Amino acid sequence: MFYKKIGVASLAIVLAAGNLLSQAPNKYAFPFSQVKLKNGLQVILSEDDSLPVVSVAVAYRVGSLHELPGKSGLAYLMENMMFSGSADVPPQQHFNNINRVGGKLNANTSEDVSIFYQTVPSNQLALVLWMESDRMRFLEITEDSLEATRKDLLDIMRQRRSVDPYLENQFSFDQLLYMDFPYSHPLLGSEDDLRTLTLDDVKNFYAAYYVPNNAVLCITGNFNKMKTMELVAKYFETIPRGKDSSFVPAAYKYVKKQVIKTEEDSLALAPAFYMGFRLPLFAPNDIYSLTILDYILMRGRSSRIMRRLLGLDNKIAYQLSGGIEKRRDRCAFKIFVVANNPYWINQCQNAVFSELDKLKTAFPSDAELIKAKNMFKRDYLDRIATTLDKAIFLCEQYFVLRNLDDLPLEFEKTMKVTNTDIVTVAHRYFTTDNSLILNVKTK
Amino acid sequence: MKKNRVILGFILLAVALSLAGQERFRKAPPPPEPRQELKLPSIETSPPLTNGLRVSVIFRDDLPMMILQLIIQGGESSSPERSAGTASFAAHVVTRSTQSRSASDIEEFIESIGGSLSVSTMEDFTLLTFRFLDDYLDQALELLGQMILKPDFSEKAVKSVKSILSLDYLGREKNPEFVAYRHLIRLLFKNHPYEKMGFPREAITNWNQKDLLEFFDRYYRPNNAHLILTGSIPMRMATQKVSRVLNTWQRAELSQKSFPPITPPQKEKICFIDVPLAKYCVIYLGTVFPSYDFDPSSLSVVSQVLGGTMNSRLFMNLRESKGYAYFAFSEAVFYKSGGLFFVRAKVAPEFIYPSVQEILKEIRKITREPIAISEIDQAKSYLIGNFPVAIEQLGVFSEKISEIMAYDRGNDYWNKYYEQILLVSPEKVFTAAQKCFLQPPLVVIAGDKSVLTDRLNEFESIDVYDSKGIRQYTINKEKQ
Repeated sequence: MFYKKIGVASLAIVLAAGNLLSQAPNKYAFPFSQVKLKNGLQVILSEDDSLPVVSVAVAYRVGSLHELPGKSGLAYLMENMMFSGSADVPPQQHFNNINRVGGKLNANTSEDVSIFYQTVPSNQLALVLWMESDRMRFLEITEDSLEATRKDLLDIMRQRRSVDPYLENQFSFDQLLYMDFPYSHPLLGSEDDLRTLTLDDVKNFYAAYYVPNNAVLCITGNFNKMKTMELVAKYFETIPRGKDSSFVPAAYKYVKKQVIKTEEDSLALAPAFYMGFRLPLFAPNDIYSLTILDYILMRGRSSRIMRRLLGLDNKIAYQLSGGIEKRRDRCAFKIFVVANNPYWINQCQNAVFSELDKLKTAFPSDAELIKAKNMFKRDYLDRIATTLDKAIFLCEQYFVLRNLDDLPLEFEKTMKVTNTDIVTVAHRYFTTDNSLILNVKTK
Repeated sequence: MKKNRVILGFILLAVALSLAGQERFRKAPPPPEPRQELKLPSIETSPPLTNGLRVSVIFRDDLPMMILQLIIQGGESSSPERSAGTASFAAHVVTRSTQSRSASDIEEFIESIGGSLSVSTMEDFTLLTFRFLDDYLDQALELLGQMILKPDFSEKAVKSVKSILSLDYLGREKNPEFVAYRHLIRLLFKNHPYEKMGFPREAITNWNQKDLLEFFDRYYRPNNAHLILTGSIPMRMATQKVSRVLNTWQRAELSQKSFPPITPPQKEKICFIDVPLAKYCVIYLGTVFPSYDFDPSSLSVVSQVLGGTMNSRLFMNLRESKGYAYFAFSEAVFYKSGGLFFVRAKVAPEFIYPSVQEILKEIRKITREPIAISEIDQAKSYLIGNFPVAIEQLGVFSEKISEIMAYDRGNDYWNKYYEQILLVSPEKVFTAAQKCFLQPPLVVIAGDKSVLTDRLNEFESIDVYDSKGIRQYTINKEKQ
C-alpha cells in the first residue's frame, strides 16, 4: 500500500505541472507534464491517444565523457550489460518479453547520455516499467556476463577496424578538435582498456551513474495518467537514491590556432580530409544561428557545400558528411570529404573554404533563410514523429535544458535567426586561424 | 532485557516480512491490461473527378505536415518485354525535371517547402510519395501538376536518369542481398511479367525515349491513377485543389491486362551467384503461389512462426542454437497476381551447406508437423501487437495506405486486421504452410566465388551463375 500513497501524492504534482505546460505556444509543440520522485527520478509524461501504443524511455546522464583515462569504453559496455539480466528478469528476457507482445526496443549511448527505450501495445505498459525498474534497481553484473559482453565488443571493434576506412583518422581528428580526453576518445573505447576493465570497474560505474537521481523516465502515448503514476510509484519509488554525481566537465581552454596534419590510411581507396572549427559559443544565441547556418551549408542536397561538392553537374567529391556537433558543453563544426579522384582533393578543400568565405561577404537571401528554417522544421517534426521519438527527444532535451519549460522557446529562438546573425557567426568562428585540417592519404 | 530483545526481533521480522511483501510484485511480470481498441484514421474516397482521377483523403490533424501519394496502376510488370525496367525509368524521369524546372530547381524547391520526394516502382504499380510542411499544399500540387502535365522527356533528361540509375545499380550489385533477391525473382517468376522486377543493369542501356513515351502515354492517365492526401484537410477542399491543378490531365481508354498464372518451379534447385569481393554471403530461399490460392492472414502467421523475428524458429536454430548465421528471417509478400514467400539469411561462409540444410529442414517441419497452439498464439500476439507499433511510423503508414489503394482492398481493410488475425486457426496455418510449399523451394546463395568454391562442392548439385546472372556450369558432387 505504501506505493499507492506515493502515487496519489505524486499525481497531484503531475497534474499541476500538466496544466502549466499544456498551453502549446506553437503548432510544433506538444503537451507533457513532469514530476520528480523522492529518490530523484525525473518523470515526464506525454499523452497521445492516436494509436493504442506506449513508449518508455529511461535515460541516464552517463556516456563516454564520464570515463576516466584507462577506463574508456565503460559506458558502451554498460549499455550492452543492461540486457544481460537483473534480479528478477533473466538474461535476454527483456528482449524476449518485448518481442513476444509485438513491441520493439533498443538502446543508445552518446558522449553524455545512455538511453534505453521501447514501444509496446499500450496494455503492456506495466511489463516495461517492471523490467526497466528491475535493471535500475539491481542489475546482475557477473564475471560471465562481463566476459561475454567484452568478447562481443572486442569482436565488433576488430571488425570495424578491419573494414572501415578512415576510422582511425576520425579518432585522431576528434583528439585534435576536442583536445581533452573525456571529449575526444572514441565511444567504443580502446581495445587495451576494454581488455583490462574489471568487474569492480563495471559495478562501480553502475553504482555511480545508473541510479534514479541521475535518470529520467519518460512515458509517451496512449495511457491513463493516474494509473500510470501509480505504476511508476510502485516500480520506481522504492529504488534507493544513489550518491549524487561528482562528475565535473573539464574546464575548456579554447585554443585558436590553425593546425594542418597528414596521415595515411591503408584501407582508404581515395584521398580525403577532415576539416573542423571549434565553436566556443561566445554569445548565448550563437547556437541558434549556427543551427540555421548548418542547414544553409550542409543540410539537404541543395545546401551550399553539398551542391558545390556533390552537385548534379559538377560532382567533385565522392562522399561528404558533417555539420554542427555538440558534446555536452563543447560545440564544433566538422566536415569529412572523400574526393572523387586523387587530383581533386585540393579543389574540394578550396571549395569548402570558398563557401565559408561567401557567407561572410554576402547575406543569405530571405528565400534561402526560409528554406533553411523549413528544413529545420521538417527535421524537428521527424524528431517527434512517433511516441518513441517524442520520448527520446524529451529525455535528451531534459538533460540539455534542465528545464523543459524552455523547450518551446528553443524552437522559437531558432525561428528568429536573421540573415545578419548568420553572417555574424560566420565571421566569428569560420576563420582560417580557427581551422583544423587532417589530410588522409592512401597507402 | 531478554524480553525487549524478543520484542525487537519480532518488530524487525515484521518489518522485513512487510518489506518483502511490498516487493513481491517484482518477482514475476505483471499481467497485461485488456487490449485497447484500434481506431485508425478513416479513408474517405470521393467520386472520380471528371477525368477519372480518384482522390482519397486520410484526415490526420496530429502532425503539421502532409503526405501526397500518387499511385499509377502500372508497375514493373507493365514494362515492355524488350525493355524491362521502363516503369522505373519513367518514374525517375517524371520526377527529376519538368519543361519549366531543372533537376536542381526541383531539389531546391522541395527542400524549400520542408519536403522530400520518393518514387518506388513495385510489381503492379508505381508510387510517388511527397511529404511537405502543411502550409505548402498548393505549391506541392503545382509541382506535381508540372511533373504530370509537362514532363521533361528531352534527350538530356533521359541520358541523365540513365546514368544516375546505372551508377546506383553498380553500387547495389556489390551487395549480396540485392543480387540474391534479384536472382530469386528472376528464376521464380520466369516467363511471368513479374520476372521483369529483376531486370539487369545492362537493361538500362536499352532504355529509350520511344518506350518511355509509350509507357507514359499508356499508364500515366488520370483514370489509371489514384491520388491520396494525408493530413489536416477536408475532402471537399482536397478535391477542389487537386481538380484545379490536374483537371487538364487527359483520360484515355485503358486496355485490360491479363497475366498468365504463376507456376512455381517443379523441383528443388540450388544456385550460386557470384558477387566478386563480397565481404559476406547470403542465402535466399523462396517459392511463389497464385493469388487465388492463399489466405494472407494464415500465411502471415506461418511466416511469423518460421522467421518473423529473432524469437522465431529460423533465427533460434541458425543463430542461437547452431551459430551458423548472423540472421535468418522469412517474409510473405502479396501482389495482384500472386505472392512470394521467402527466407533470407546472412551466414558465415564455412556454414553455407549446413545452413541450407537447416532451413530446408525447418520448412519440411512446418509443412509436415502441426504447429503447437502456444506457438501460433505467440505469433498472433506478435502480429496484433506489432501492427499499431509499426504503422505509427509515417513511412510504414504511407506504405500500407498505398497497398490498400493500389490493390483495392477496401477502405476499411485495416480496421479488420485484428479480427482477421484472431480468426486464424491452427488448421488454417497448417494448410497455408502446406499449400505454400507444395512445390520444393528454390535456393539462391550469393557471395564471392573465389572464397567459396570449396564450400560449393559440398552440395549434391548446384548451378553456378556469373555476376551478371548468366548460368556458367553445374557442380555435381558425384562427378567430382
